Amino acid sequence: MNLSRASSKLKSGLKFVLRRLGFYLMAAWASITLAFLIPRLMPGDPASAMFARFKGQLKPEAMDALRQAFGFSDAPLHQQYLSYLGHVLRGDLGISISHFPASVNTVIGGALFWTLLLAGVSVVLSFGIGTALGVISAWRRDGKLDRFAPPALIFLGAFPYFWLAMLALFLFGFELGWFPLGHAYADHLTPEFSWAFIGSVLKHAILPAVTIVVATLGGWMLSMRNTMISVLGEDYISLAQAKGLLSRRVMWIYAARNALLPNVTGFGMALGFVLSGSLLTEIIFSYPGQGYLLIQAVRSLDYPLIQGLFLTITLAVLGANWLVDIAYAWLDPRTR
Amino acid sequence: MEFTRAIDPLRSRIALLLCSLAAACEPESRPPDPGVLVITESEQTASYVRNFNPLLGAGRWASNHAIYEPLLIYNVAQSRYEPWLATKYAWSEDGLELSFTTRGGVKWSDGKAFSAKDAAFTFDLLHRFPALDINGVWKFLERVDTPGENQLRFHFKQPFVPGLYYLATQPIVSEHKWRDVEDPVTFSDPDPVGTGPFTEIESFQSQVYQVGKNPNYWQPGKPKLAALRFPAFPANDQTNLALIHGDLDWAGTFVPAIERTFVSRDPENHRYWFPLMQGSVLLYPNHTRAPLDDVRVRKALSQAIDRKKLVQVALFDYSRPADATGLSDAYATYRDPQAVAAGDWVNHDPERAGGLLDSAGIKLADDGLRHLPSGATFELEVNVVAGWSDWVRAAQVICRNLEQIGVKATLRSYDFGAWFQKLQRGDFWLSLGWTEEGPTPYSLYRGLMATETKQPLEEEAATNWHRFASPKADAWLAELERTTDPKRERALYASLQRLFVAEAPALPLFPDVSWGEYNLKRFKGFPSEADPYALLTPNKAPDSLLVLTRLEAKL
Repeated sequence: MNLSRASSKLKSGLKFVLRRLGFYLMAAWASITLAFLIPRLMPGDPASAMFARFKGQLKPEAMDALRQAFGFSDAPLHQQYLSYLGHVLRGDLGISISHFPASVNTVIGGALFWTLLLAGVSVVLSFGIGTALGVISAWRRDGKLDRFAPPALIFLGAFPYFWLAMLALFLFGFELGWFPLGHAYADHLTPEFSWAFIGSVLKHAILPAVTIVVATLGGWMLSMRNTMISVLGEDYISLAQAKGLLSRRVMWIYAARNALLPNVTGFGMALGFVLSGSLLTEIIFSYPGQGYLLIQAVRSLDYPLIQGLFLTITLAVLGANWLVDIAYAWLDPRTR
Repeated sequence: MEFTRAIDPLRSRIALLLCSLAAACEPESRPPDPGVLVITESEQTASYVRNFNPLLGAGRWASNHAIYEPLLIYNVAQSRYEPWLATKYAWSEDGLELSFTTRGGVKWSDGKAFSAKDAAFTFDLLHRFPALDINGVWKFLERVDTPGENQLRFHFKQPFVPGLYYLATQPIVSEHKWRDVEDPVTFSDPDPVGTGPFTEIESFQSQVYQVGKNPNYWQPGKPKLAALRFPAFPANDQTNLALIHGDLDWAGTFVPAIERTFVSRDPENHRYWFPLMQGSVLLYPNHTRAPLDDVRVRKALSQAIDRKKLVQVALFDYSRPADATGLSDAYATYRDPQAVAAGDWVNHDPERAGGLLDSAGIKLADDGLRHLPSGATFELEVNVVAGWSDWVRAAQVICRNLEQIGVKATLRSYDFGAWFQKLQRGDFWLSLGWTEEGPTPYSLYRGLMATETKQPLEEEAATNWHRFASPKADAWLAELERTTDPKRERALYASLQRLFVAEAPALPLFPDVSWGEYNLKRFKGFPSEADPYALLTPNKAPDSLLVLTRLEAKL
């Protein structure tokens, strides 16, 4: 009897996840189409931007030959769209104009790892620490943590991020010399699986990661604390306490699990935006990630690269949200 | 008691972790190996793509500054050609043939011998793949042949003396390697074989790469450096921080208030040299939009601008107000004193500017604004590139100055692509812009006044964005394409300058600055004002070869 109930529970959960998957496929198609359309709505065209790189030395004959090499075409939009869809399905995103003759896949591939490492780790850290702090400060209301941490963190988070990061770089990197001025690892090292290399990566990541965490911690903490406080007023919490359950168990398993839902939604969004939002961090700390690629691609009207980056970002947002859906189904049985 | 016992192990564990982290990072502060020169790349980027193809000009810095070499180098600082892969050149009597004698004993970095055949092969490549012919040499070339092992001869369709520059400075690739390259346009040449001082790619990562010495370099005992290293920087701020910190040996970046920020940190070693030997920055008025086609209006707008203030605000006084010829110091010997004297319309004189506008029928009304004869207010827009902060500041000064004489001016900043498209298609009122460069002012004035360069509106124009053409200039430019007589040349350039000053087709603002900084801590032999053997800036190919073969590591 128990077994059949468990299996029906699993079935409904699976059905929910599959239903969402269908929705995400639709959303993926929409974003692929938008990635195609949006660059073409921008002012300027890639041919003239390319023209500009040669400061007007390029003669018309050379220009035509180059257009062909870059694969620009004057075909009608729907034809371009169809061939674009075909290429995307095969995983071929074309040749980057600003990094000619490298393919978009190589350009993005080289940068993606560092962005995921830096921004991914710092968002997870920020979410984890912020949520935990929120739980504790709500549990011990009017304690020291509750009185000082939220205003201090909100204060720090209110500064423009680039200012905060520049200041940190100047103070701890330049003046005090505690941390390197930029890059993902020391210039004399080559990527390998050794302590020296991993240590160098860590040391280079500390300053940018800390600035991201400091700038975003306040939001996580505050939203967790507020939901937690309203959950703590519920009857079942009083019942759990009256039954004599361990207060740690009540705090984490009974209250925090239910209060976590809004933060999990936010986490899904934040994870998706990791790829695009790390732009300022990567510029300020000369980090070889993909945030800077996007700005460069937009500046030089590098359509293929813009498309590729849009696609990676939107797919990441969708992927993260799908994971959040699954987490939801586990945290809150009502959603199934 | 119990409390402290519980805490202590944790504390010591954290301390241990921090220590081991610090220990792992110990080699961090290690300076680069002796003899490794650290340079800024010309492209600001966060991650490099491995491309050493020198032909398209889209490769890494090293490809056409250190790996591949040209026949001759035009030395801007000395205004002369330096023999390089060719030892001498000569024109035929009729100006239809140009012969080079290539240097003997030069070897490619893989040990094979270099000959005139390699050079002929390179130009043949440009012919077969027009995308590579970025300077359009096959517009005036008929054919190329090699009468001898070290003889290279160009046959012209018609005499074209300015062609020498494009032929002489073309990077030369090896026949034995490039013969088998299927598509040299998309070839990324990951392991280049060159004749230059640095050819061996020792390491290549997205954030830094290093190029080692050519084992077979033709200049005996050179280079006197071990290798070149290029860390990637995404923007000026990051480059400047590294420069001031002493992490860079040679850079070519804009540094604000350089005496205070850079030099004062180590006056012994931190040096810079900012000669005005590049093109000039001009304000382009669109001649297809009335009343900007009226020379009185153009001169009035020019006299409204306080160039002294502009240079101070926009460029920290690194440059100076331009004279009316538009020539930078690279062309100092061509400058005609009579033309400079006649060009008083670059001086700040709002009263005369007002008078000129009055005479053009653009009068001041009671609302404090000037009105066109049609009754509409005289309104202008100044286009600049968003993020080019010196240009944006300059345009701000210009707008304020124009408003002082009653002309309503609005600053419009666009992303580079959009800005450049508007400029090329003639879709602007006023726009800042650069000038063409070259060993003589030929391409500069061709781009400013030749009928050939004037495109119809909506068509993309490589130069002559303001759309001005003069038959007189055409005749003089045509004669300059034929003459090799220096006296006649000088006279023709003087005529062009006088015409430019009389017509004011575009308004010179200031000569561009050639940015160059260096650190004497580990290396010596950089060019400077006292020893101007070449331009200091690393942003000019192939001139950097002159510097790279002169630098020495200090002991």
